[in-house]
Amino acid sequence: MIGVFHRIEWFVGLVLVQVLILNQMHIYGYATPFLYIYFILKMNSKIGRNESMIWAFLLGLAVDVFGNTPGMNAAAATCLAFFRPSLLRLVTLRSLDEAFRPSVKSLGVSSFFRYSLLASGLFCTLLLMIDTLSFFQWEKLLLKIISSTVSTVVLIFCAESIGRKKS
Amino acid sequence: MKNLLDFFLKYNYWFLFILLEVISFVLLFRFNNYQGSVFFTSSNYVSGAVFETANRITSYFHLKSINDDLVQKNVELELQIENLREKLVTLTNDTTGIERMKNESLMGYDIFKAKVINSSLTHADNYITLDKGEKDGVRSEMGVVDGNGVVGIVYMTSDHYSVVIPVLNSKSSISCKIKRSDYFGFLKWDGGAASHAVVKDMPRHSLFSLGDTIVTSGHSAVFPSGIPVGTVEDISDSHDGLSYLLKVKLFTDFGKLNDVRVIAKKGHEEQKRLEEQVKRNSK
Repeated sequence: MIGVFHRIEWFVGLVLVQVLILNQMHIYGYATPFLYIYFILKMNSKIGRNESMIWAFLLGLAVDVFGNTPGMNAAAATCLAFFRPSLLRLVTLRSLDEAFRPSVKSLGVSSFFRYSLLASGLFCTLLLMIDTLSFFQWEKLLLKIISSTVSTVVLIFCAESIGRKKS
Repeated sequence: MKNLLDFFLKYNYWFLFILLEVISFVLLFRFNNYQGSVFFTSSNYVSGAVFETANRITSYFHLKSINDDLVQKNVELELQIENLREKLVTLTNDTTGIERMKNESLMGYDIFKAKVINSSLTHADNYITLDKGEKDGVRSEMGVVDGNGVVGIVYMTSDHYSVVIPVLNSKSSISCKIKRSDYFGFLKWDGGAASHAVVKDMPRHSLFSLGDTIVTSGHSAVFPSGIPVGTVEDISDSHDGLSYLLKVKLFTDFGKLNDVRVIAKKGHEEQKRLEEQVKRNSK
């Protein structure tokens, strides 16, 4: 029960940070970090696909409602939650049947880095592809995807280091 | 049969996945043409309130640059007024003329003050949220301007908030003209930088040069004529070669929008009601 409250706290906190600060940020006009997927990345490995997809959908929808982009973030976040178990299996030898929260501590730096890089890359690619459906410019899209992915990973590691000091 | 059931149970997450994705895309594509979807936008009650609170805090950070802008604008306007007054006095020898002119230029328009509480720049379809809604008299299809020039057109309204389609939106289209020669075209946005837009359908025989000022044409009921839009920065041919395509540097800085004005033509509602009635009767 406490776990659920804790998760709702994180949910609200990350959505607020995303919509009030990060969505207004466009480093060099291209990079927007999407830190809120940290919520999806940090979910316990034991949480089923269905449950994590529903959380991700609601999370994306919350960000969408604030950003006037109905459905975009929801679609990308749901997709990320869907592929998350596969990504975890790809980067770690640990069995997903044992419960662990993916973190630098539980996976090791290099595995967690690959995990967050793959996840952010996947997410940014999906989201920005949906966003630019109407004007398709390859170089610009690619630049946006790469810069957003890099800034997202950097922020994930910042959040990770803050969280580690606390615990 | 049992195998089939097992199969469905084993892969049940596929169905949920597809269901959620379908919901997302339905939301995505319906937003574009479904006026009633205020609930899923930043003008719903909760998100409006959050943005308003945040804006109350962050608006202080821009005060200095806004102040600079205002002072600059004020000085310019004062000089202009002084010049014009002199000219008018020499031309008409009538001191009550100025007073009359001032009243005439704003006659027929209501002006509401509003604050921008959320905006985006980088999407293909950007939107701006204002802290005024139907209770304050704002209705859809009213024009929005700031101290520098045109911002956009009100798209949806809730009780206390409204969403604006700014120039920086692929759906935006504002009728405008060259100030010097009165030839008109349509202001559109082709993605890319937030500081530039294009004017389409400028006739082949029209007269203009680089640096000319573009203003609103006043052909639609949304904007009065003569509101500044931007300056011509580049000229090229349209795809079909039948008209010119002007690249325009916008006067409005969408990156630091804060205080805006909603302009409504008096009788706007009456006109709209009348038009709707005609439509209903003709069905």
